[in-house]
Amino acid sequence: MDGMIPVVASSEGGAIFKLFGLEISSITTTTWVIMLVLTMACFFFSRRLKAIPETKVQLIAELTVDTLLGFLGSIMGSKEKARYYFPMVGSFFFIILASNYSGLLPGAGHLPGFQAPTSAISYTAALALVVFFSTHYHGFRTHGIHYLKHFIEPHPLMLPLTLMEELIKPLSLSLRLYGNIYGEETLVASIFAMVPLFVPLPFMLLGVFFGFIQALVFTLLTCTYLASATAEAH
Amino acid sequence: MTNDAFFALGAALAIGLATFGPGIGQGLAAGRAFEGIARQPEATGDIRTLLILSLAFMEALCIFGLLIAFMLFGKIS
Repeated sequence: MDGMIPVVASSEGGAIFKLFGLEISSITTTTWVIMLVLTMACFFFSRRLKAIPETKVQLIAELTVDTLLGFLGSIMGSKEKARYYFPMVGSFFFIILASNYSGLLPGAGHLPGFQAPTSAISYTAALALVVFFSTHYHGFRTHGIHYLKHFIEPHPLMLPLTLMEELIKPLSLSLRLYGNIYGEETLVASIFAMVPLFVPLPFMLLGVFFGFIQALVFTLLTCTYLASATAEAH
Repeated sequence: MTNDAFFALGAALAIGLATFGPGIGQGLAAGRAFEGIARQPEATGDIRTLLILSLAFMEALCIFGLLIAFMLFGKIS
């Protein structure tokens, strides 16, 4: 555990100021800005909605949401089910996408108070914990006390393994996102230190691609966990 | 050799070995997926989704190695 501390400390950059006794780090301030931007985007896109779209803004919003909904629906089995969980899962997608892309803006990671939130493990761990608790909450809500039965489903002897699997899910979910984004940021930074001009560009393009894929993967895995927890018993 | 040399060697081995298995696995999975798409182009959407999912699971192993490498790298004084 001793070796874990420098990585976490160096990747979070420490507190930049204190508010009501709480330490506010760069990722917190960046998250506030992202929250503000996403909220404003929501207001902008959901203004004056009509049953039959008249503006291009509404068309873009509908196309985005419908594509994502259809994609998640193909994972969860039915579009109705995906629509039910969409407020949570869709928010995950957009906030992770915005967080990943915030690290590609100029100055991210160098200016105080500006760092991609997903390049810190506390942020991704918080997201994964939300997934963990909501998965089991929805499992219990769907099946009641019978939900516990699926832990001993193939055989009661498998109980330690299934419990371990449940605990490893949030761990791998958070470490995957954190490792990808933190690794990508470190890669670009070290390439930038070697050759400052043009050479980092392809790696940053790779970062655009991976930022999208990682946001999608987090959302997809959340959907599969939710789908398997709320699946009809056979 | 000092401890630092062992940390550096450990970090290099951690990321080097951790990319080895997932690299082969992802190659196999992607190859089979393309084969499936070539045989059945109408199943492209489903295959792509499943491919991304399974690649993500393999990717996680590599990422664990990367994190261990960073951890060891941070210990070099």
